[in-house]
Amino acid sequence: MLLSALRMEERKRLMGRERDQFPVGMRVLAVDDDPVCLKVLETLLRRCQYHVTSTNQAITALKLLRENRDMFDLVISDVHMPDMDGFKLLELVGLEMDLPVIMLSVNGETKTVMKGITHGACDYLLKPVRIEELRNIWQHVVRRKFSNRERNNLDFPKECNKLPSVDTEHGPNQPTCGSSDQNGRTSKKRKELHGEEDDEVDDSECQDNDEPSAAKKPRVVWSVELHRKFVAAVNQLGIDKAVPKRILELMNVEKLTRENVASHLQKYRLYLKRLSAVASQQASIVAALGGRDPSFLHMGAFEGLQSYQTFAPSAVLPSFNPHGLLSRTSGAAFGLQELAPSNTIQTATGNVTISHCLEENQQTNITQGLTVTLGQSQLQQNWIHPENNGLSDVFSGSALTNTLSGTLHRVPSSSLPPQELLECKQTNVSMPPSIRIPSASSGLLERTLGVSTNLGDSSISQQGALPIDGGFSADRLPLHSSFDGPIATKLDTTLATSQREIGQQGKFSVNMLVCPSDNLTLAKNAKTGASSSGSTIMLPLDTARHSDYLQFGGASNSVQKIDGQKQDHIQNSNIIWSSMPSSELPTDNQTHITQNQRLDSGSFNHNIGAHLADQTNASASILPQMKFDTRTSEDKLKQKNTYDLGNSKLQGGFNSSSCNFDGLLNSIIKVEKDDLPFLDNELGCDLFPLGACI
Amino acid sequence: MEYSNLRRQIVFMKKNLFDQGYLDEQFNQLEDLEDESSPNFLEEVVALFFKDSSRLLTNIEQATDKYPQDFYKLDSLVQQLKGSGSSIGALRMKNECSVFKANCNDRNLEGCRRSLQKIKREHATLKQKLESYFQLLRQVGPRDYAVSSRK
Repeated sequence: MLLSALRMEERKRLMGRERDQFPVGMRVLAVDDDPVCLKVLETLLRRCQYHVTSTNQAITALKLLRENRDMFDLVISDVHMPDMDGFKLLELVGLEMDLPVIMLSVNGETKTVMKGITHGACDYLLKPVRIEELRNIWQHVVRRKFSNRERNNLDFPKECNKLPSVDTEHGPNQPTCGSSDQNGRTSKKRKELHGEEDDEVDDSECQDNDEPSAAKKPRVVWSVELHRKFVAAVNQLGIDKAVPKRILELMNVEKLTRENVASHLQKYRLYLKRLSAVASQQASIVAALGGRDPSFLHMGAFEGLQSYQTFAPSAVLPSFNPHGLLSRTSGAAFGLQELAPSNTIQTATGNVTISHCLEENQQTNITQGLTVTLGQSQLQQNWIHPENNGLSDVFSGSALTNTLSGTLHRVPSSSLPPQELLECKQTNVSMPPSIRIPSASSGLLERTLGVSTNLGDSSISQQGALPIDGGFSADRLPLHSSFDGPIATKLDTTLATSQREIGQQGKFSVNMLVCPSDNLTLAKNAKTGASSSGSTIMLPLDTARHSDYLQFGGASNSVQKIDGQKQDHIQNSNIIWSSMPSSELPTDNQTHITQNQRLDSGSFNHNIGAHLADQTNASASILPQMKFDTRTSEDKLKQKNTYDLGNSKLQGGFNSSSCNFDGLLNSIIKVEKDDLPFLDNELGCDLFPLGACI
Repeated sequence: MEYSNLRRQIVFMKKNLFDQGYLDEQFNQLEDLEDESSPNFLEEVVALFFKDSSRLLTNIEQATDKYPQDFYKLDSLVQQLKGSGSSIGALRMKNECSVFKANCNDRNLEGCRRSLQKIKREHATLKQKLESYFQLLRQVGPRDYAVSSRK
């Protein structure tokens, strides 16, 4: 150990020089069982001036990563490997190390790509890989750092500004600084776990770098609070009538200029547009799926659907109320009942996707909405069959994913008027990606969104039940609401991500409340099947209350269910979509959380989108850090919108990066093609509770 | 003069390989990767490919003949072959692998067998052609050639 530590130090020093010139010298770990591909990949990467380590075994790769967490910036891995499934590796890396992972495959089918994205890949490249594509992969590293910083409310924009290496004094230290910084700061957990000493050194370096930026013009950081106010103002005025001047007046924030508001509004509009686009896309998918397997549609088993924390006090019951809907699971997670009405909740739990459309708060509605499939497992299996070729293993039981989307049945009531839809969108669906991260020590988790997915047997540690990694702390909740946003989230996408293989126990249900009921975002996800169980709940919010629900409960009905096993824990990570009033939220969350915990017999995996784990720190970022990092999957998914929330993009965003909230922003920014480099995004979305995390 | 003849031959051969669809752009990319530090990169990779793919083909054949059929496994093997073939730019092989995969998907054993035979033929042909190609290259001095073709 000492030797390896020394070795590492030395390497770091050696590479230090290189790292200063980021992206030159970026440290990549390449994994591919095929020797030809590996050799070619290695050479291509070297040609891009990266520092490459390659291995043909996933197990070796994991070992390397675990031993030296700080040794790599990025991982590129093949999907099909004999010793370990590439998706599994992807999840593990995302969970444990929070590194960006790029998938490679010769198979470019949409569903496989989708799966990759939902499992958290930053990008998905097709073989043969071209060097041009590899030249850009460093963006994923930067992006992650960026969002991590934001997540932690660090004032990274200043530091990030430096990325373009404008600041010669500190040089391009920034990026690397960021990474180590990130390691040190963004994830306390990691620090504890790994006790990286060198972080301090880097930290101080980075700190110094802040100085110069002080001289720059102060930027407006759109904190969650601020954004919440903004959204509240916009909602008050009505999206059509919201003009910067009036918004500014309503917000009543000092030092905010009309220009700031205007640019933020522009981004927000784009975001909304994307949401609706995605939603409709998803809806169509759902429709398509619907025809496919009618029983599917009725699946609703939400096993773990706990999440629905409606604002109604009733906390999500750990045991979901079956409402007769849920099969297996002890309680249908229907916390939905409480859910504000007219929310269609589509929860794609590992086992079941419940598309539940809550109409008007009625219990009955809910039940109607929820279709519980008893035969969940069966359904899933059935569902999986056709898809499966290889997907089945992934879906252990969580047919969900596929079904998830599929099942989303359009809730009858789902037809929301566009405006409502908009509103729904507004509710923050904050999907706290944070799916657990073991140290959920932060109370953050508790609140809201915990997408707790239990991966039963997954190797991913069972992290404490709190799913909420994302830390949705109650305080944060307000944030969500502030966003009011539509985050209709195409949670399902996230769900998809969460679908992970669900281990025997893994129940993975992520209940996401997605606002747009119409859209079955889930459907889309389901379609891809990539999504692991996750319950996405689409909530058409008709009332503000409902927005609260953004609870994302990942009831993970693990795959096990397929065997009809009882679901052990329906861990639902409840992602509470911010709309919930913060005051209410805490209680709810708390309850919910405890419930979850109870339910969680201990292995809680997070899965949601694998990268929810990023969120772990939830505290600040709790809000659904859904990162709309659509970018990652952009090219692959051919989504025009970077924002493709519903689609893989969301998933991608969601998954890939730790659902950062800023993802949303980022995507917005991206969309707008701001001149500012991504990093410069001052929207500071640290926590936009855009529930879009999916 | 002989040198330039050789070079002409090389160019001609390469063009043929492309025109007849044996190779695609990836091959050029690999060639471009050659430099002082890895002067024979292309040849090395191609050699590695043929070695590995022979092994794969054997496995595929075994899987095809096995009873009961495991199409899933077969598909996975063919996918591997497709991946490595595409990495060196073996276009025909890659395409034939796609057909093979489709047959696996349809659980069409006969189709799989046919595909297997085709792939074996393509494999043998490509190997032979590339061997001649590299022989020529060696005669002119691969390094020069590589350098000159570098962008």
